[in-house]
Amino acid sequence: MSPMRCVSVAALFVASLAAADAPDSRVVTFVGCPIYRDTDLGRKSGCWLAEDPATGIRYDVTDGPTKPQVGRMSLFEGVLTSDPDTCGGVVLRPVRSAVLEETCPTAIIPAEQFPGRRFVLPAETLKPTWEPRELPKPPYATREFHIVFDYGNDFLIYQYAELIIEKIALYAKASQPQAVVITGFAATDPIEVSGRKLAEPAALAKARADMVALALSRVGIDRRRMRIETNTHPQPLAELGTPGLEASKRRVTIRVEVTSPEGRGRAKRG
Amino acid sequence: MRVAVKRSLVAAMVIAVGAVSIAVTTGEPVADASWWSPNEPRTFEARHDYADDAGVVTTLNTNGPTPVAGHPFFSSFSANGRACVSCHQPADGMSLSVDSIRKRWRETGGKDPIFAAVDGSDCPSLPQDKESSHSLLLKRGLFRIARPWPPRDLDGKRIEPEFTIEVVRDPTRCNRDPQYGLTSAQPMVSVYRRPRPTANLKYVTSVGFPFEPKQGLPLPTDAETGQLISGNLLADGRMPTVRAQIRDAMRVHLGVTGAVPASTVDSIEAFLNGVYSAQSVHRVGGLLTDGGAEGGPEVLRDAREGDLQYGGAPIWKEFLPWANAAKDASLTAEQRAFRESVARGAEIFAKRTFLIDNSAGITNMGFGNPVRNSCAFCHNMQRTGMDVAPGQVDLGTTNAPTANSSPELPLFKLTCREGARPHPHLGRVVYTQDPGFALTTGKCIDIGKITIQQMRGLAARPPYFSNGSAQTIRDIVDYYERRYRIGLTEQEKQDLTNLMSVL
Repeated sequence: MSPMRCVSVAALFVASLAAADAPDSRVVTFVGCPIYRDTDLGRKSGCWLAEDPATGIRYDVTDGPTKPQVGRMSLFEGVLTSDPDTCGGVVLRPVRSAVLEETCPTAIIPAEQFPGRRFVLPAETLKPTWEPRELPKPPYATREFHIVFDYGNDFLIYQYAELIIEKIALYAKASQPQAVVITGFAATDPIEVSGRKLAEPAALAKARADMVALALSRVGIDRRRMRIETNTHPQPLAELGTPGLEASKRRVTIRVEVTSPEGRGRAKRG
Repeated sequence: MRVAVKRSLVAAMVIAVGAVSIAVTTGEPVADASWWSPNEPRTFEARHDYADDAGVVTTLNTNGPTPVAGHPFFSSFSANGRACVSCHQPADGMSLSVDSIRKRWRETGGKDPIFAAVDGSDCPSLPQDKESSHSLLLKRGLFRIARPWPPRDLDGKRIEPEFTIEVVRDPTRCNRDPQYGLTSAQPMVSVYRRPRPTANLKYVTSVGFPFEPKQGLPLPTDAETGQLISGNLLADGRMPTVRAQIRDAMRVHLGVTGAVPASTVDSIEAFLNGVYSAQSVHRVGGLLTDGGAEGGPEVLRDAREGDLQYGGAPIWKEFLPWANAAKDASLTAEQRAFRESVARGAEIFAKRTFLIDNSAGITNMGFGNPVRNSCAFCHNMQRTGMDVAPGQVDLGTTNAPTANSSPELPLFKLTCREGARPHPHLGRVVYTQDPGFALTTGKCIDIGKITIQQMRGLAARPPYFSNGSAQTIRDIVDYYERRYRIGLTEQEKQDLTNLMSVL
């Protein structure tokens, strides 16, 4: 498919879907085999594509925080855009992909006429160890943080989760909370995607919470102040900005419970 | 011929082209004192220069001249006669080359402590006076590392492994040995590995970023020191800190029984923190601080550790000034060509991208499989080529089907249990010469992962890779070319080889 044709298809899609006046209709969800297009604009510059088997439309799913793996089926969830086609597919952004167990043919194709896109570091990345960290200033209040996970996974996503973990650590250090409540969610209610029923196992809720608890303990939060809860029938959370509300259910919510605006929670307890 | 060269002569050194030995313009080479045996009444000077195949490797000791008599790094503690220095020789970049090992066998009739039965032979149960019983040490520079099975954590608590392990091939006869094998009273897995250099440790233990993306977790903190654990120690990460490694090595390799005194650990750690080692002279390229280059150990001593390379400051930038060697009329044509080749090698190392695929620890942590990047994707720490985002990766050096054919090494079949997450690229059944990090964690995802190691002093300490499967620096390049189908030209392979010969 030529770049121009892809742009046209994308524009048509966006236009028709926008007319339906349903925000969620811009979300595309499917299970498919990833295709790696080996464009070469420097490091990490290759394109990731995938075809929705129901429509045959090829999407550009490059921008996800977790990239696919060739030869492994993936769940794709993304929002249609009319962004220029530089990879050979309708651009989904934001987009998420999750690698599934099922295998599929390995597909690596050449750049052909597509330039691809240069890799751009996320706007915010973890600072080197030697750079000083600034503690948040008072007043402090109970505050919630959220970490979104890939479907079926408890792995903390690189260049995303560690920033939140550090923010929580700094906030806890400054505010001296009396408790840190970690609620792990697993989306166990089945959804049908591309003819498959997908549901996360209930045990994943605890596994995710445990993973976050381990991470928080490593950044200095006292395990004795942590409380772990689980929820296997979560409600979606629109504020997370995930591509589709379903993805927002796969999360851990960390509530830092602060009783003193000056950050004396722990001192009072002591 | 191996010669030690006095510090004052190094600057005046002329490297004999095509020869291994070194001639000096003033004075004669001092007697061959390159081998450091335990308990010698010598002084470890502030600087030691030794010839290697590429030129001169230099080891600095910022502690200043250190009398070694009674110093625990240089002292034996048990009947096996070993000291730390036995396997960490300054002439070998604080590691041990297979040439040195063979030489010691010839000179001592196999009686040097490095051939101790515990790990200097293929298996302790073999007749120790026979050369064939030390085949892996003599042929590939490999020491036996016996890991408990099932794995145990640092407190000795059993880790329930996600996989079963079977011995498929046992050429050393140790993994099926009734006393030392997998079915013995104290089951263990014998793998065979190269000793890593005990130099430039501030880089090895540095923490550039406090997060380990391969595990998806913040770095753990060492309870003893309160410091973040770098994750870059030992091939399988079995010990978290230098202090823990010192204690473990003294027990396992040196035969120390009982607790190792804290003062002994303090003394060894303090000494090692002052040891820097790197190639300082190349027999063709000359002094590695000449022509604007910043090779040699001095810059390692003075630079900040743990810095990430990036486009504006690419790794091995210290050799980029040699791209202008043609302008230096004082150089011979051969010197110019070599220096330009090294500079090209540095460019290729940092910038030549290729598709990295099926490499657990890289391609299963969100970057995608494959991911386009250069050598510097993983070898990204300034000055040493270690990984700032530390940890272990499976480059395929020990796992089938990508490992070099090694009939002399054991082969294991690892089968992931039901419910365990399989190896991300090799599935539920993996054949491997060395399970690597998985022998520490018990996880399928870690099978064949090996900790990235520093790249300094390479010319002084062949062979390479944890299992010694690359006999020469060129073999390293050839392995990567085959593994990742990079498409290097013959000239580019030579450029990378030349680069690595001056590190």
